[in-house]
Amino acid sequence: MRATLVSSGVLFALAVAYWFGADALPKSRLGGQVGADGLPKLLAISLAVLSVALAAQTLAYMRKEKRAGVAAKPVEADGGDNPHAWRSHARAFGLIAIGAAYLALLPHLGYAVSAALLLLVVSTYCGLKPSWRTLVFAVVGGAAFYIIFVRVLQVPLPAGLWPTLLG
Amino acid sequence: MEGLNYALAALTSLPVLVAAASGVMWGILGGALPGISPSIAMALLLPFTFDMTPLSAIVLLGATYIGAEYGGSIPAILIRTPGTNSAAATVIDGYTMHQQGRGGEALGLSLVGGTIGGLVGLIFLVLLTKPLASLALMFTPPAYFALGILGLSIIASLSEGSLVKGLIAGVAGLMLATIGTDPLSGVARFTFGNPDLLEGIHFIFIMLGVFAVAELMSKVTEREDPAMDGSVGKGTRLKLPSLKKLWQLRRAQAIGTGLGIAEGPIPGAGGTVAAFLAYNEAKRWSKTPEQFGKGSEEGVIAPEAANNAVTASALVPTLSFGIPGSNSMAILLGGFLIHGIQPGPLLLTSNPNLVYGLYGGLFLANILMFAFGVVILAPCIWLVNRPKPYLTAAIFVLVLSGIYSINHSLFDLGIVLATGVLGYVMRVLKFPALPLILGVVLGYMIESNYRRSLLITNGDHIVFFQNPVSLGLLICSGLIIVLALVTEVRRYRKVAAA
Repeated sequence: MRATLVSSGVLFALAVAYWFGADALPKSRLGGQVGADGLPKLLAISLAVLSVALAAQTLAYMRKEKRAGVAAKPVEADGGDNPHAWRSHARAFGLIAIGAAYLALLPHLGYAVSAALLLLVVSTYCGLKPSWRTLVFAVVGGAAFYIIFVRVLQVPLPAGLWPTLLG
Repeated sequence: MEGLNYALAALTSLPVLVAAASGVMWGILGGALPGISPSIAMALLLPFTFDMTPLSAIVLLGATYIGAEYGGSIPAILIRTPGTNSAAATVIDGYTMHQQGRGGEALGLSLVGGTIGGLVGLIFLVLLTKPLASLALMFTPPAYFALGILGLSIIASLSEGSLVKGLIAGVAGLMLATIGTDPLSGVARFTFGNPDLLEGIHFIFIMLGVFAVAELMSKVTEREDPAMDGSVGKGTRLKLPSLKKLWQLRRAQAIGTGLGIAEGPIPGAGGTVAAFLAYNEAKRWSKTPEQFGKGSEEGVIAPEAANNAVTASALVPTLSFGIPGSNSMAILLGGFLIHGIQPGPLLLTSNPNLVYGLYGGLFLANILMFAFGVVILAPCIWLVNRPKPYLTAAIFVLVLSGIYSINHSLFDLGIVLATGVLGYVMRVLKFPALPLILGVVLGYMIESNYRRSLLITNGDHIVFFQNPVSLGLLICSGLIIVLALVTEVRRYRKVAAA
């Protein structure tokens, strides 16, 4: 519940920022009566009102629970303050960090190598112990994706530094 | 007659045949993997539909949906884990049948029941097409705007958890849709000087991020089931029911098919609700209700007929009004929009070849589902037995590679990762994803028709209330929100009293 309360505050701040962003849009005669800022401003107001409503709703539920003397649930429905939950979330965000690393390495290592590395790292990250099987999966998988996307579908994925290095 | 010609042309077209076949196969395989919902299986194909013809693309996505609804029953029966949400009802008696050594029979009933349900649902869809198309002439810009608002209202109000959260998600989707160049004035909105954002954020990136990447993020937090020793379902052979058996089960088949057809067009209902309703009603009307839960064949055929009948009837609001009622239909709508085709009241009059060609393709897909379902069981069992980390890794690479294939831009991959984070946070905080997707998909339609209406009347908002269709739709939207609010207040009072 606390997380939802915090999120309602974040959403309100977003609504305010969005309003100012819409207000800063240049006016154009081609925009008509409403203009490019019309709908964004309406959405900003809607989001602000809804985020206040969400905060009020959440506070009302929290007050009811407190009055009823309900003990805090170990893992709240909205992701609560449980350390176990935070560890899970950190693991989930770890996948995004791996994806970001793939993004950074792709132009340099090329698609085939990057894809193989990504397969290896993600499968290990998901709990598989590093073994020759995992390595074979990564190499074969990387080759398969390369063949499908680069050779068959002709997608111009980055070749990396290899063409330069290998002449 | 003209429609029949278009359908027959599709049936004899090689690209459509290939699209239907590959879609069904991919759908069955994807549906058999717990965690890959029909919508994710469809979303993963979206980047590849860019270079296809519109008809092939839509048939591919529709066939995937059809295949996935059957595929979900395979792990439901073999390992008590539904591959798709709508196969959850099949677990009850399907898994019991498997434990009794009748797993092959259960799979056969699921396949045949699903095929019949899908075909009958398709007939219903075809019969409804012309009457709904006659509504087309009543739709002007104010009516289109109101239709978009109605669609968002329905989906937001049906969101699990909280109406307010559903509305916030819808507004957030509309906000995402405003990023890019304003179509009327050419002004750059919320691009922060980044030229990559001038064309806006493609809804595919948001769909794949919010559905697929967020799902993968959830998956990495789960532990592998130690009971999965890799030998699940091995040796199981599919056994098709005889005609005599099918006749004996006709009541359950009819109940499942009928409820699937009725539930399909209702936004937010979908295959899961239809399957459970069908199970309950089949039990109620069965001559042997005491057998339900103990390996009843009716308990398998009814929900499977329902969730496959939904695949056709769910197309009604999507094709006729451009309002998708489920995640899968939102993806299908995306498939149309990629090719510049706006589903809605004018679709049949402007693209009859596409509509009837789609029907032909879906008919083909149902037949192919039956054919492939018989032979694809062994590969499905093999796939279900693979360690989950391999599948998670492969899907992650597939998503990122597929996204790159659209614009060949690394920036797009960053967008997908960012929307993946958004989707995950929404899941944790129990914000529904469908209103967000709908807001993104309908955003252009809502804004452009809103501003077009005001251009006509020189800025006077009275136009939305003078147009009877627009007024009616806006009143419906208001009523739906009010009803949802009342329900929420009642729920709050019940919690308080407890």
